[in-house]
Amino acid sequence: MKPSSNKTFGAVLRAALVASCASPGLSPALAQSAAGPVTYRLDPDHTFVTFEVLHFGTSTLRGRIGPVTGEVTLDRAARTGDVRLRIPMATLSTGLRTLDARLREPDLLATVEYPEAYFVATRFQFDAAGAVKEVRGELTLRGVGEPLSLVARSFACRHDAGLDRQVCGGDFTGELKRHEFGASFGEPFVGDDVHLVVQVEAIAP
Amino acid sequence: MKKISLLAVVAALGFAAAAHAESATYAIEPSHSFATFEIGHFGTSTNRGRFNKTSGTVTLDKVAKTGTLDVTVDTTSLDTGTAAFTKHISSEEILNVAANPTAHLVATKFTFSGDKVTEIAGNLTLNGKTNPVVLKAQNYNCYNSPMIKREVCGGDFDTTIVRSQYGVSYGLNYGFPDAVHLVIQVEAVKQ
Repeated sequence: MKPSSNKTFGAVLRAALVASCASPGLSPALAQSAAGPVTYRLDPDHTFVTFEVLHFGTSTLRGRIGPVTGEVTLDRAARTGDVRLRIPMATLSTGLRTLDARLREPDLLATVEYPEAYFVATRFQFDAAGAVKEVRGELTLRGVGEPLSLVARSFACRHDAGLDRQVCGGDFTGELKRHEFGASFGEPFVGDDVHLVVQVEAIAP
Repeated sequence: MKKISLLAVVAALGFAAAAHAESATYAIEPSHSFATFEIGHFGTSTNRGRFNKTSGTVTLDKVAKTGTLDVTVDTTSLDTGTAAFTKHISSEEILNVAANPTAHLVATKFTFSGDKVTEIAGNLTLNGKTNPVVLKAQNYNCYNSPMIKREVCGGDFDTTIVRSQYGVSYGLNYGFPDAVHLVIQVEAVKQ
């Protein structure tokens, strides 16, 4: 997808996300079509993206972004799912304010022009026990949309005694090449390969 | 004659080794040195917290393949991304950072494979209690920094500690794990 058309895509997506917030029952067809689709709200205390990139081929520079907001619909019996994540890019935190400020600049994450990244996915894979194994969709970062696969390193659902709600979540990892999103400043000293580590927990209604 | 030449060879070898031994001191570079802990959350996802301030010194002898490390982590610099979580972990109930504002790692046993450090064994003091730890290198490298025009050595190290051994037992009875994974990014600049 070319950047010129991506702005349009981003705007459409933003409108869709706003609509889905205003109207939680945006997918009534999905809700009625299967026995048990459940729409979970992301838990802001346990939903963060960490990015990892190699610095001078030596050590791994990490940054945390979040909390991530959004919704996940899972139908574990039908083995389908749908996820819409809004990733607030300006929250990025490396532990070093000067680096955070540098990463927000236009030649890197351009957080003023593109304050949010989005991950939208409908291709879910489940294992035999009904746990999510992989989620494939599209990441829109810096206004550029590219395919992204998130692979579950752990996934579980539990009844949370404190919340008295079902909570599902896990740890997911994904890989992207930052130049594909137009954020290649500092290469090759700082790597092009970005490893994403995603903690997510979502609470049933 | 034979005896003398043997002595000469031994002396020459000793001199050669001494001449090439080069212990150098490196200062921890705080902008590329962070310790992160990872702990399981009710068998579902992993909670993380990063300590933002680390300082210390490393010595390396690349010929003798030895090294020492003395690193201090400011436990009051904890940052989890969630203010309430950071506050709770910092409290008396868990890390008690008011009483123990630093964690301290001292190591004198470096293991090399070729030119690369693969393992660092030492003692970690956390919450006022000391236990042996072995840090495994996931990455290790030295490079000449074009910015500061000096050699920088560093890598990624990790280890798993048993927190109850450090007197940090909060929540064990609620199912919070005893095992905590420590993930350490470190770079140090040659002095």
